[in-house]
Amino acid sequence: MSDERLETIPSPAQGVGPIYRPDGEKPTATVSKDMPYENVHVLPQTPQLIALLTMIRDKRTGRADFIFYSNRIIRLLVEEGLNHLPVVEQAVTTPVGRTYLGVKFEGKICGVSIMRAGEAMEQGLRDCCRSVRIGKILIQRDEETCKPKLFYEKLPADISSRWVLLLDPMFATGGSATLAVEILKAKGVPEDRILFLNLIASPSGVADFAERFPKLRVVTAFIDQGLDEKKYIIPGLGDFGDRYYTL
Amino acid sequence: MESISPVFSSGTEQRYSPPWEDLSIIGIAGSSGSGKTSVAMEIVKSLNLPWVVILVMDSFYKSLTPEQHAKAHNNEFDFDCPDAYDFDALVQTLKDLKQGKKADIPVYSFADHQRQLQTTTLYSPHVIILEGILALHDPRVLELLDVKIFVEADMDICLGRRIMRDVKERGRDIEGIIKQWFTFVKPSYTKFVEPQRSISDLIIPRGIQNITAIDMVVKHIQRKLDEKSEKHRAELDQLRKIASELQLSPNVMVMPSTSQFVGMNTILQDPKTEQVDFVFYFDRLASLLIEKALDCTSYVPAGVETPQKTTYQGLNPEGIISAVAILRGGSCLETALKRTIPDCITGRVLIQTNVQNEVPELHYLKLPENIQEHTTVMLLDPQMSTGGAALMAVRVLVDHGVEEHKIVFVTCAAGKIGLKRLSTVYPKVRVIVGRIEEEQEPRWMERRYFGC
Repeated sequence: MSDERLETIPSPAQGVGPIYRPDGEKPTATVSKDMPYENVHVLPQTPQLIALLTMIRDKRTGRADFIFYSNRIIRLLVEEGLNHLPVVEQAVTTPVGRTYLGVKFEGKICGVSIMRAGEAMEQGLRDCCRSVRIGKILIQRDEETCKPKLFYEKLPADISSRWVLLLDPMFATGGSATLAVEILKAKGVPEDRILFLNLIASPSGVADFAERFPKLRVVTAFIDQGLDEKKYIIPGLGDFGDRYYTL
Repeated sequence: MESISPVFSSGTEQRYSPPWEDLSIIGIAGSSGSGKTSVAMEIVKSLNLPWVVILVMDSFYKSLTPEQHAKAHNNEFDFDCPDAYDFDALVQTLKDLKQGKKADIPVYSFADHQRQLQTTTLYSPHVIILEGILALHDPRVLELLDVKIFVEADMDICLGRRIMRDVKERGRDIEGIIKQWFTFVKPSYTKFVEPQRSISDLIIPRGIQNITAIDMVVKHIQRKLDEKSEKHRAELDQLRKIASELQLSPNVMVMPSTSQFVGMNTILQDPKTEQVDFVFYFDRLASLLIEKALDCTSYVPAGVETPQKTTYQGLNPEGIISAVAILRGGSCLETALKRTIPDCITGRVLIQTNVQNEVPELHYLKLPENIQEHTTVMLLDPQMSTGGAALMAVRVLVDHGVEEHKIVFVTCAAGKIGLKRLSTVYPKVRVIVGRIEEEQEPRWMERRYFGC
């Protein structure tokens, strides 16, 4: 699944900062890799986002801060993800009697979190969509076959008529996510109505996914350098679930 | 992101002078016990405006040496001659205030005859009443005064009042008071106080009972205040004219019109939206504005080790980021602020637009300590229409030592002329705007947010 040749290319380092600041005055940091897929959306690499990622990547960051800063990034991911949902034009007369040509949100949505780490993203989703329905999928690695296996799922009954925001913070090999997408498709959700939100992705995971599900959209904050021999993302941030729930 | 080529050199010459820059100072002199203080207080009471402040000259007494202190204790120190006052400090204070700067007024302790370590900060009064026996003594002070008043009373009455006051309020014995009166107060009156009478513009006999005289002074001050307000408005109008011909500065960043952002704006502007929904979507939208504003602060490179034992070359924000809410509306943005920086240091200014002449007025100010050392100060106001309140708030920060380029103005909606007016005067201030609205939009968002 992983393409070793791709993984050895180091991540780009560049000056990050607002457009009005001259290049020489921008602090240098490592930014996300660029991937040539139309259905992969990486958040703008602003100094602000890099600083948030720096916080949660730092192994010295405690759990309270880890939760707070990852929630902030998750909210930005959700905001970006929601922008892919359809809208229809709507004009309103404002409280001061003027006409504003706006839009109205169309289509029902739901969240689906891949347990356990994906559940950590539910708060951020609820911060943006108050009464959103959230389904859950538990996928574990089968000890015998070493392949991901579905252990449990509880999804909204009308999921096939909804847009699905699939939540899993770390997108390494994409094994669980692939299985989750297949489950969703089996439930009748069209591929182009699935948005996969994650914080940090591996280049191989993204490449594999983009080709396997060309209509599904991936929204991520950062495409990292690659995977280590244990298939963990590097530099990454360690085990997201552990850092969010137990460490 | 709306961004326009940076042709913007003419802007820097434009100035904005708030109504407190051209401060009026009224000096009230007169013998001890003549009723100066009562007259000053009566004037303030009649005006009933927050911009009229009494400055008591006693705050500028020099600190006494131990020997002088002992003398003072025995009523043998002359507090009534010019040497007892620190006129240099007084002149400097008045000059600062006249330029619209903030001034630290010394606090004098009569118990220790010493200046205290703490000071009282005086900022942005439009009128100051300087009150003291020698308020019209120093020629440098005289130069700064707009009106010179001498309060006159019969010397017997003065002594009587002085005895009553010193016994009641300062717990002193009658013998000491009389000793001091004849050794210092009376000779000093003849030598220094009385001569001020001839250079005064107005002599008020019978002090507070003289309603006609007090009324004249009050009318005079009211006229001065009206003139200032009119001048302020004319200046804002002038800036509006200049601004309307300019392009939006590149330092003004308009949020991209993504479908979610426009959708939220639609919900917010729909009068049918319930208040609970309004608050929810307002907070959500404002959080994005604050996140955007944080892109304007300074960052320094930082390498961190991840739990995967590899290093990530990232960034850390530099120094302290604080915020100042322009009340009342600015506090709508505080929920979003706390969602982004939970422990953000937050100052507040209350600026209200006068309904009669539409001129912004500064009513209240509480800024964090050492705000001038913060890396970035966000100014929060949900709506900017003409930019008058924004200009005033930026000016307040600049007067408190915050450099212009460290200020980021955050607003949900603003009119183009208001934005241009702000960047004409303060080109280095950065502005994050959610949505460009039509000109002359009245403020309504805060009403929806608070429900009243």
